[in-house]
Amino acid sequence: MGAILEVTNLHKHFGGIHVTRHVNFSMEEGEQSAIIGPNGAGKSTFMNLLTGYHRCDSGKVVFEGRDITNQPPHKIARMGISRAFQVSSIFAKMTVAENVRSAVHAQMRRSFSIFGAAGRIGSADTDRVLALCGLGVKRDLVAGELAQGDKKRLELAIALAGRPRLLFLDEPTAGMSIDEARGTMELVDRLNRELRLTVLFTEHDMGIVFNHARRLTLLHRGEIVVQGTPEEVRANETAQKVYLGEHNV
Amino acid sequence: MDPSAFAIQLFSGLSRAMVLFLLSAGLSLIFGVMNILNFAHATLWLVGGYVTYSIFEFLSGQFGASPWMLLPATVGATAALAAAGFLLERYLIRRTYGRDLPEQLLLTFALVLIIGDLIKLVWGVENRRISLGIEPIEMLDTFINPYHFVIIATGVAVAFGLWFFLHRTRFGKIVRAAVYSRNMVSALGIPIPMIYSGVFALGVGLAAFAGGVFLPLLPMSLGVDHDIIVQCFAVVVIGGFGSMLGTFFAAIIVGVVYSFSILFWPDGALAMIFLIVILVLIWRPWGLFGTELRY
Amino acid sequence: MGTGNGNGWSRLYARHGLSGPAALVLLAFFLLVPLLPGKFWTIVSTEILILGLFAMSFNLLYGYMGQISFGHAAFFGLGAYATAMVFTRFKTVGGEIATLDFFVSLLAGPPVAALGALIVGFFCVRLTGIYFAMLSLAFGELLFYIVFSWYSFTKGDDGIQGLLPPPFFQDPVNYYYLTLAIVVAALLALRRITESPFGYIMRTLRDNQRRAAFLGINVRLHMLVNFVIAGTFAGLAGALWGPFSRSVNPGLLGWQESGIAVFMTLIGGAGAFVGPMVGSVIYTFLQAVVTMFTTYWPLTIGTVILLIVLFAPGGVLGLIEKRIRARRGAAVNAGDEEETVVEKR
Repeated sequence: MGAILEVTNLHKHFGGIHVTRHVNFSMEEGEQSAIIGPNGAGKSTFMNLLTGYHRCDSGKVVFEGRDITNQPPHKIARMGISRAFQVSSIFAKMTVAENVRSAVHAQMRRSFSIFGAAGRIGSADTDRVLALCGLGVKRDLVAGELAQGDKKRLELAIALAGRPRLLFLDEPTAGMSIDEARGTMELVDRLNRELRLTVLFTEHDMGIVFNHARRLTLLHRGEIVVQGTPEEVRANETAQKVYLGEHNV
Repeated sequence: MDPSAFAIQLFSGLSRAMVLFLLSAGLSLIFGVMNILNFAHATLWLVGGYVTYSIFEFLSGQFGASPWMLLPATVGATAALAAAGFLLERYLIRRTYGRDLPEQLLLTFALVLIIGDLIKLVWGVENRRISLGIEPIEMLDTFINPYHFVIIATGVAVAFGLWFFLHRTRFGKIVRAAVYSRNMVSALGIPIPMIYSGVFALGVGLAAFAGGVFLPLLPMSLGVDHDIIVQCFAVVVIGGFGSMLGTFFAAIIVGVVYSFSILFWPDGALAMIFLIVILVLIWRPWGLFGTELRY
Repeated sequence: MGTGNGNGWSRLYARHGLSGPAALVLLAFFLLVPLLPGKFWTIVSTEILILGLFAMSFNLLYGYMGQISFGHAAFFGLGAYATAMVFTRFKTVGGEIATLDFFVSLLAGPPVAALGALIVGFFCVRLTGIYFAMLSLAFGELLFYIVFSWYSFTKGDDGIQGLLPPPFFQDPVNYYYLTLAIVVAALLALRRITESPFGYIMRTLRDNQRRAAFLGINVRLHMLVNFVIAGTFAGLAGALWGPFSRSVNPGLLGWQESGIAVFMTLIGGAGAFVGPMVGSVIYTFLQAVVTMFTTYWPLTIGTVILLIVLFAPGGVLGLIEKRIRARRGAAVNAGDEEETVVEKR
């Protein structure tokens, strides 16, 4: 078990605003951790940098020993990193099954297949992922017309269809009811346990964080302030100050 | 090239550029503020020319023929078209906001066809031109039509007027702000729909004004709008959507390049223009003076 | 969706959406047209088929990939000119062409169009939205003016005349059936492509390009492949056009010609596979009929487009689809739980 992800000195600024400041961060294979922090702390930006959505101004990102710094998103995705977005980013005019199926086709490297019948390729994987995320019954519904919670589940399903080894989830339970949130996080736990899927998620809900993350990283104004187990972070004075708005970087 | 040939090409190129500027300024402003690419812009220019002609003929009939009749004729046409543009935006164009881009484009495309045929309906198929009876001036060993200077001067004056309007008046500043951020302007309590109607009316008015100004130089005829509109697109793309400065310089570039290209590649002069458009879109899609934010 | 109504139409609709029954109706119509008296409807239908193929190739970019191109006619025109030039080479002094040479000239169209699409597409796929539209327009106009001004090679504004097919195909009915055969084959190929994994990746590019990239899709490369495929089929349509109208002219490459493909697609419905072909039937028939009575065709078609954009943006097939869904929704509401009906293509 070694470090699957190593981030060194990651830095990003937009104009004069520094959104990520010299962040050092690493994850072990099979780990399930969370990044927390008040609004505007830079959690989503951090994920964007790691998945190639933004270019970083300095620093290095190494995944499974390969330097993926500033690689375009599609290359990073093909290396085994998947991402689910905060605001569900799905293919609205296609059905649920077609959404997942296209992700499967991309993963199978069959995206240029002009003459095969889409419905017959990758259907086993598609069905499996749909069942896993509880979307089997809804497979023929148009994605754009789903309820919010279902959209988030579809979001997760699309990310999972890529058979990632490292999964980023940006606020996976946002907009979900308590039952839905619990179901989603239990699924994430299961995937982490059974497939040794390394998971990093951001969250606002502290209950979820304490029940489902083995390690926490607290981000404030683009900097890592505290890192450790949930108990350690909870007991940490600086962390408390950050959340009470009293901490100044 | 001898100086006289150079001079002729330069002045005709610059006057062509001014007409393109007057036309493209409205197009650029409309797209910059409202994100609507008005395919029908040159067609409305054509209508402006025809209306100017009709008013000119009427006034000449009433008060005796005189080149000075062009002025009130042009002003009248401008006002009429601006009002028409206001109504067009309010009752037709507005219905496509929030729709996909292709649907908005197709609406104005349809207007090209409809308004074009309406021109035919009202004025028939013959060309309209006005002869002001101006003697060519002798300059640099050749004869140059002094009306070119009128156009160039008018173009520069309007450019200044626009600049003044956009940078020194309240409405103008609001318009510029709207180019950057519609939402902010709306949040400030300024009614966006009124701004849209006003900007559209302004743009169409400018087009009509260009039509009237151009009338003594070239006859207005059916189908000219089809050729001109793609040149306006070229100007707006090269200069950058929403930027008046960009439109001005791009119009000069297009007008002068066209004028000189005619000399050694008559049929392909416009090919040159589109080559420039392609290069701009590849290298700097937001245009020479456009803002990267908007892109 | 099987509510006891298991007849052929329902099954066809269930499997292929509205395009299934529509395609069947179209096929029946096209097969029977030559039975009408006179040559007029046969000739009009040949035009419908050729322009319909052109429009369907356009829809690969628009309905399936989400980009609007105002320069697509450039590839239609390139195909037409390639065929015309090979045709002229093979022509005897008497103006006749051998049947084999005729078919060879038809084959020349698509590859030339494909090459053009490769070059143009390489640049266009770097952009999207209005910038894609503008760049495609600029390339289209550039190619138009090159053809227009290169008199020694293309005969410029005069166009290339005298493209008389071999005697057998001079009969409009025979040329019509040749066109029908080729267009049907092309449509079958297009159908395979749109229902393939690639076809669905195109839809992801239409719906959410950013997300597609995060799936591991090289967006530009996929767009380019689609662009070339679309250009190739447009070139095929162009190849058929020359001998049909006996001449080619630079206008075939211009933005007004591109507009025809856009109009047809809009009228029939971009959301259905056969939408553009349906649009071609409506557009071409309307034009043939209206121009018999009046010169105000632009006014007519402009008004039609206006009405469609405002009230029926999904085109004719889109309207029909809505009606079917509404009726099903009413039926379903009367019974079990709410269910959103899938939007089939």
